[in-house]
Amino acid sequence: MNAAAWLHVFLILGTLNLAAAIFLNGTAQRRTFIVLALLESAALFMTGVATFLTGIATLQPLWQFPLLGEMQLRLMPFSALFLMVTAVVFAASLPFAAHDSTQYARSASRRLFLALYQLLYLSMVMVFSAADVLSFLLSWEIMSLLVYGLVVFEHSRPASQRAAYLTLALSELGSMAAIIGLLLFAALTGHLDFAGMRAGSGTLGAGARWMIFLLTFYGFGVKAGIVPVNLWLPDAHAAAPRSVSPVLSGATLNLGIYAIMLVNMELLPTNQSAFGLVALITGSVSALIGILYATTQSDMKRALAHSSIENMGIVIAAFGASLVFASLNHPVLAGMALIVALYHMLNHSVYKTLLFIGAGAVDAGTGTHNMNRLGGLIRCMPWTTLFFLGGIMAICALPPFNGFVSEWLTLQTMLRAAELASVTVKVGFALSGALLALTAGLAITCFVMLFAMSFLGMARSQAASQSGEAPHAARIPMAALAILCLALGVLPTYVIPALDEVTAPLVHAHAVDSLVPAFFGANAAHPHALPTNFIRQFHAIGAQVGQTLLPGRGLVVLHPGGARNPVIFAMSTGYTLLVLTVLFLIVYAVFRGLTGDRQLRRRSVWAGGVRHFSPRTTYTATGFSAPVRVLFHTILRPIVSDDATEIVGEYFRTAIRRETTEFHIVDRLTLRPVTHTVLWIAARLRRMHRGRVNTYAAYVLASLLVVLGVGLWPG
Amino acid sequence: MAAASVMQPPAAAWQELHRICPVRWPKVSVRTDHTRHIAHLMVTPATVRPVCLWLFGEAGYHFATLVAEEFDGTWHLTYVFYDPASHGWAYVELRQPLAQTSVISIGDTVHAADWHERETEDLFGLRFEGHPKLGEFVLHENWPEGINPMRKQFDARAPFAHHQQKTVWEPPTIVEAPGAFIMPIGPVYSDFAESAHFVIETTGEDMLRVLPRFFYKYRGVEKIAEGQTTERVLLLAERFSGSSAFAHGFAFCRAMESLCETGVPPRARVLRSVFAELERLRHHVAVIAGICASTGLAVAQAQGASLEEDLLRLTAQVCGHRYLFGVLKPGGLTLAPDARCLDLLRERAHALNLRLEKLYAGLRYSSSFLDRLEDVGLIRAEVVKAFGLVGPVARASGGAADLRKLFRYGAYEQVDFAVPTETQGDGYARLRILFQEAAQSAAIIERLLDDVPDGPVCAEVIPRAGAALGFAEAPLGATFHWLRLDAAERVQRYRISTPSFRNWHAFRVAVEHFSFQDFPIVLATFGLSNAECDR
Amino acid sequence: MFNWFYTGLKAGIRTTPYPKKADMAPGISPGRPRATRLDAQVAEALTMRCPTGALIKHQGGVDVDYRHCVHCARCRRNTGTQVMDWSQDYDWGVLSAHAERAGHRFRDIFGRSLHIRFLDAGACGACMSEARQLNNPYYNIHRLGFFITPTPRDADILLVAGPVTDAMRIPLQKTYAAMPEPKRVVAMGVCALSGGVFGPSFISAGGVADVIPVDVLVPGCPPPPLAILHGLLLAVERTMPSRLTTHAAETEA
Repeated sequence: MNAAAWLHVFLILGTLNLAAAIFLNGTAQRRTFIVLALLESAALFMTGVATFLTGIATLQPLWQFPLLGEMQLRLMPFSALFLMVTAVVFAASLPFAAHDSTQYARSASRRLFLALYQLLYLSMVMVFSAADVLSFLLSWEIMSLLVYGLVVFEHSRPASQRAAYLTLALSELGSMAAIIGLLLFAALTGHLDFAGMRAGSGTLGAGARWMIFLLTFYGFGVKAGIVPVNLWLPDAHAAAPRSVSPVLSGATLNLGIYAIMLVNMELLPTNQSAFGLVALITGSVSALIGILYATTQSDMKRALAHSSIENMGIVIAAFGASLVFASLNHPVLAGMALIVALYHMLNHSVYKTLLFIGAGAVDAGTGTHNMNRLGGLIRCMPWTTLFFLGGIMAICALPPFNGFVSEWLTLQTMLRAAELASVTVKVGFALSGALLALTAGLAITCFVMLFAMSFLGMARSQAASQSGEAPHAARIPMAALAILCLALGVLPTYVIPALDEVTAPLVHAHAVDSLVPAFFGANAAHPHALPTNFIRQFHAIGAQVGQTLLPGRGLVVLHPGGARNPVIFAMSTGYTLLVLTVLFLIVYAVFRGLTGDRQLRRRSVWAGGVRHFSPRTTYTATGFSAPVRVLFHTILRPIVSDDATEIVGEYFRTAIRRETTEFHIVDRLTLRPVTHTVLWIAARLRRMHRGRVNTYAAYVLASLLVVLGVGLWPG
Repeated sequence: MAAASVMQPPAAAWQELHRICPVRWPKVSVRTDHTRHIAHLMVTPATVRPVCLWLFGEAGYHFATLVAEEFDGTWHLTYVFYDPASHGWAYVELRQPLAQTSVISIGDTVHAADWHERETEDLFGLRFEGHPKLGEFVLHENWPEGINPMRKQFDARAPFAHHQQKTVWEPPTIVEAPGAFIMPIGPVYSDFAESAHFVIETTGEDMLRVLPRFFYKYRGVEKIAEGQTTERVLLLAERFSGSSAFAHGFAFCRAMESLCETGVPPRARVLRSVFAELERLRHHVAVIAGICASTGLAVAQAQGASLEEDLLRLTAQVCGHRYLFGVLKPGGLTLAPDARCLDLLRERAHALNLRLEKLYAGLRYSSSFLDRLEDVGLIRAEVVKAFGLVGPVARASGGAADLRKLFRYGAYEQVDFAVPTETQGDGYARLRILFQEAAQSAAIIERLLDDVPDGPVCAEVIPRAGAALGFAEAPLGATFHWLRLDAAERVQRYRISTPSFRNWHAFRVAVEHFSFQDFPIVLATFGLSNAECDR
Repeated sequence: MFNWFYTGLKAGIRTTPYPKKADMAPGISPGRPRATRLDAQVAEALTMRCPTGALIKHQGGVDVDYRHCVHCARCRRNTGTQVMDWSQDYDWGVLSAHAERAGHRFRDIFGRSLHIRFLDAGACGACMSEARQLNNPYYNIHRLGFFITPTPRDADILLVAGPVTDAMRIPLQKTYAAMPEPKRVVAMGVCALSGGVFGPSFISAGGVADVIPVDVLVPGCPPPPLAILHGLLLAVERTMPSRLTTHAAETEA
């Protein structure tokens, strides 16, 4: 079957599933929904696979509209990657959603919920397969409204209403900017279909390019949650129903990345490094601000949402690097950077979906996602803890998990800017490299906190000590995603060539031979990019181990350098895993050998000899992140008020209340000044309305004089 | 008594008392004791609060201690105040039948009496009406309610079996903030820390509220002293707080001597002051070494510790004991050091003081050290007044009260010295006070040793029944010992009011709102003793 | 900082030669009475003077029980009669019966390096001060492989001072339980041996042995640093024990 046929299968199954959501009820509804969801996801995944295998774009005309031209669907490797990621994310999330829909008492609510969920799936696929501006924007808007609908679904909570409103407002603002940008583009090229726009893009002047770039970058950037248009994201992801958050973070954020890459890579290839630098700096700043706020959250879902901003920032930064390399005629480097960007996006989708499903399961089990009330979950949900830990290690960028590969490659690719000539560009890269390194460090703090405060230690609330294990509908997808995290982390040498198929048409160069040279033996198809004696040395230390087990190029990823120093960086997560496993086994064997005959004695926690050790005396998430809050006080600027101290006599207190209000730095620097200015002007204007007739008469007279003055002005 | 011989009775202050009391509180009778400079104000349950509030507020008296006694089938409550301006004492005395166990509290206004009232409530079962109760105090959760060990019928010597008590003490939390939690410290913590428990409520970094929990070391000294000979109680007085043994023994002996109207021979008076200053010098050096240790300044700590050891050895050479145990006895001293010994002391004290000055100079120019002390652990002057703080902690915050200067007891009438005070009230101010006092002690030792009178070192004490207060300026501040003897020369009531008890009360004020890493430093600059507080 | 470095160097080495050689510096020990041959009448008078019952009249003289002696010096000063012999030694540590049964395993494991957790079970501050002196340049126990540790988890020896107050009973038991095996307990000071001047009473136990098993006893009120050091060395059997009581009958006339 070809790609188009698989897409048809997906659309049919999707429609069936929609029907199942609406017309069935009870257990039958959930079972059918889960089965159909898995089948449709498989079909969608196969669509992507088929597209990859053929490697060419297929067009599928839909409808003909008068004046606007033909609406088309298309499948090409670039969008196929996004489709496959979407398929994985939805396949993992839909079963949990179906299972969790039982929390809504009314059957109409359950139906509506699952229908909206399924519609979001379909609309996202439409966005990725749109081949013209019109169908793209149409499905984009539908998708935005569905996201609003899902965020507002639990509308009885005021926080969720506010979050949904903010989501809608910012996302429409972004959409408007993006629409203007795209329509401007279309008007200047005279085409509405992407192929035509691409063809006509060469004639655009610098001014038009800047306008289109800025409007679409920040307009679509709203969906990706980049700074400064990220304000909606943490609220929306935290307020959304717990089974929706995985999809919002794992899949819808990718839409923003897709749209930005579509415009800047495919439709309007740039020749200016400034665009890339803007993206690079924006991405790095987003990453730092994202992780900083993630670290200071005490709410699990909010922390994860803020960390999405961080990860999207890293993707955008790598993408920006790619733009810079491309504009400066380094197509291979541009390819590398783009591969890295897509790789990180892929990784983020996998582990963030895993973590959000985990957070959802914790919420379902304990009734809270406030880490200050959790703790000790490892005892009542061991499996969830294990899989969650996989996701945590991945997001912390620890080998052998996938986050390590893409973050490591991102930083290494940044360092390749040393080969560029322009000092400005180098400084930009150095700055963003530093920001990203700081981000990586904070990420470890953040997720150590997230994991330790929720799953380790003592339970800080009754609910946390009595939670049951997560349902199979959450646990099995989590297990699958955890294994995927490990696979993507251990076998980057198989992922990178696939991604290279996506990026090669965009940057017009293959980067795969530079990143993943053929250590398992060169042939005509894969000539060596490295000196032969160097390869020999690498073989001497065992780089070809596993050759008989695994086909392909080998297990080593590296960055090639010049003649004097052929390799700048090399790593092999496959061998690392091997070595780690062997070392672990050796240590374990030695440990057992030394202590085998010893008796294990268990003693209670040492707590300074107090008679009774209470869970209230253990660190909370707020306490854990306090040093970060102190360190980054200038950025976070919390407003602390503790004047609410109740005293019954001098020096006798019965209560100390401390309230800390924090306005996100972006909120502080953008939205608040705007709203303050508007309110200030409104207040000034109100002062003019004094309600006295003579005042109004004076206004009339003054305006008359002004009009007369203008009219009578000579010339 | 020595103090009486140099000081004039506080005539003006007493006139004021005689003028005001009959007008405001007709039922309060005033009786003045011209030898001991004490005004006894016999109050009724209704007037105890207004009288105390007036003394503490308008009249400017300082609160010294609250002595509760179960005596002759009635409650005797004595609120001891002293007036730093007129050097006079005021004893507010309340008598009520044993059946009546409630007393009006003064602790909410005279904050210095807060802990005294709580202690009395715990140990005697007296209820202080109007006191904002804050949970159990001296006796912890494993002690059964309603058993008050200080009551006469309670047997002090028999082991009291009660360990089947299974109550759980949950620290009372008052901080309401998202993510607030408790940072527990102790009772077993740090390397050589005395046992105490601190409940720190925090949201991380900042200590929003600190609730110290003491009396882990409560040995019931006041109770086990009852019914004992004074000989034996002197052992207790010296040994309940080893780091300031001489000062407490001194206060006990002075209570005995005041009660029995014994005149201490001049030689003993001088030597007692010399030894008291020697102890102060060693104590302050130890605290200084502790401050250096708390900031991680290893060399300075080693220098301080060497000085301390040198002083300990010197003390042992002169007095036969490194901590001056067994030197005192009512009426004088147990030993008469010869001239050679005193010359050695004089010479060494001088040399050690020079080394201490060098250490001070070094510390004053170590900016990394000063950064940890400056503006840390602030105590304001109002707190000194309200909590009735004493000793170096008070003097670093502008409080100048020093019993040596106020009452000129012992040989302090012979030396002129200025009480060092600072006003900043931070950790550095306390360090400066410690250095200045240590230097001053060395100077006083030298000056007193210039002219040691000859003669016996001990006078005969003829015991008699009755009660008296003995006081002394211990290294950490004023200490007050109330002693009541019966006709059989046995101790009936021994009440110890110590400077650590007083100053620990305000520790939380100093440490709150600073961050965790300041905690050990504030602790070290206070330099307090739990043994002295818990008794 | 360099200043401090220089100051430290300039101070030179002050460390005691003990345990290689006896340290004879004045003032390192308060000393203690020794069993003395005395006339019956004098012995009676001296025994009466002792406020803690440490002196026991015995035929031919006065015996001393160090579990009770608090160095009050009343058998030494102003007696008007013959006085007790007074020794200026400090190697006072004694092995308890409990330790003698345990064998040499502890020495074999911790003979060269030992971690000590100090615990204050109601001590007056003098014992603690003397224990603190162990870290000062004069005694510097690090040179002998002894280290003070803040957590009982790392500790091999529990050094306890104080009569064990009611409130410290459970913390003491918990601390002991938190220590890994093998472990030893050194009780220092008269209070920790017998309750001293405080116990046994309604609120204090009669020493550490009432609560947890004790291996080494170090008498003294307070024991000087070298006595504590002797006790620690004794716990790892690097020195010879002293005795808890001395008898006049065994002394040379």
